[in-house]
Amino acid sequence: MHEEWTDQLSDYLDGELPADERGAVEAHLGSCALCVAVLNDLKRVVARAQSVDARLPQADVWAGIADRIEAGRPAAEPGLAMPFSWRGARRFAFTLPQLAAAAALLMAVSGGIAWEVAARSPEGLRHTTSAPETASEREVAQGFGRDVAQGFSPASGTDPIAADRVVPVGLADAQYDSAVADLEHALEAGRSRLDASTIAIVEHNLQIIDQAINQAREALVTDPANSYLSSHLVEARRRKLDLLRRATALATEAN
Amino acid sequence: MTAVMTLSGDTPATRGLESDVALAAGGDQSAFERLYRAHVARIHSLTRRMLGTQEADEVTQDIFVRTWQKLGQFRGESAFSTWLHRLAVNVVIERRRSFAIQRERMSDDPSALDRVTVAPARADLTVDFEQAIEQLPPGAREIFVLHDVEGYKHREIAVMLDIATGTSKRQLHRARMLLRKYLSGE
Repeated sequence: MHEEWTDQLSDYLDGELPADERGAVEAHLGSCALCVAVLNDLKRVVARAQSVDARLPQADVWAGIADRIEAGRPAAEPGLAMPFSWRGARRFAFTLPQLAAAAALLMAVSGGIAWEVAARSPEGLRHTTSAPETASEREVAQGFGRDVAQGFSPASGTDPIAADRVVPVGLADAQYDSAVADLEHALEAGRSRLDASTIAIVEHNLQIIDQAINQAREALVTDPANSYLSSHLVEARRRKLDLLRRATALATEAN
Repeated sequence: MTAVMTLSGDTPATRGLESDVALAAGGDQSAFERLYRAHVARIHSLTRRMLGTQEADEVTQDIFVRTWQKLGQFRGESAFSTWLHRLAVNVVIERRRSFAIQRERMSDDPSALDRVTVAPARADLTVDFEQAIEQLPPGAREIFVLHDVEGYKHREIAVMLDIATGTSKRQLHRARMLLRKYLSGE
């Protein structure tokens, strides 16, 4: 076999040879039936490769994926990008203000709502350790009380109880903005039924969440591959929807 | 108008998938399952061809779990299928690197020529060809799959695998010559 020629046939077939080498190969092919046969075989291989069909796995693997999503477990393989809460040794390029904003968000949202629940309860602060009396208070106490224990992390976004209460809307801009606008409109309509301190707390928390959203967006512009920032943004937007929904529910219930 | 819509991929089906991408990014697991159903065949085929049947299921799971985690980063600048496919390729490559065998794979092993058997005279030649791909030496196999099956260029493969472009070309030719031997038995 003319290996000095056949070794060039794949590059020739792919158009990877410079003009002079291509010309030399073509000249050789004009007089070598063996190399022409090899070239034709290579063409068959390429054609076959381009015609292979995608095939479903023999056993559906969705159940395993769903289990891992539900559990919030990381992929088993080391080296895969995981959200911050799942990895201990990963470096992140956060600014102190970003971290401070996340911490402030956690404290303000959980603490503020817990205070609000306590303030609305006839039993005052003792209410935080007793059973909530209304559905909305149960929602607030259960949902935001869990934040204190779990922290502001992507994992908390998979909390099945909290997830059930979040408006099931995509976080693409148009859908998200529409959902937020609807809830803000509903909250505004019920504003007169909430006391001033509740309104102040809700607005203050919304301001903090918006600040976190904006900071995450700005950081993603310069570091778009940062999975934590991305998860943080999704989570913050989810929190905003959740807070608006709970506040709207409070206003409705107070009617 | 119909032709334009078809060429651009703007069909009711793709619009539905785009909607599912947005819903899944917001935490809608049912929407994500629909995305999984739409793409699992291609992703599983990629992992099976690149890594072999035994690892394909587990790595396919890894890919979709990672996709779920990273959906918030999808900006819609390319088709979701393109974004997903590139993410899948990255996961597969990471998996291979984690085995720390990338370099030795790229060495020329003359005995590899004997690993690809001549095709038996069977009706299901597509399946046989898939099996022949899996029998390729790993280094040649992944480059063959990326170049001839998935359509990546040598310079893209070189970057993805951190190898020289010339190495990619040599391994591709090696794979083709091995498969030529296989096809000669059909």
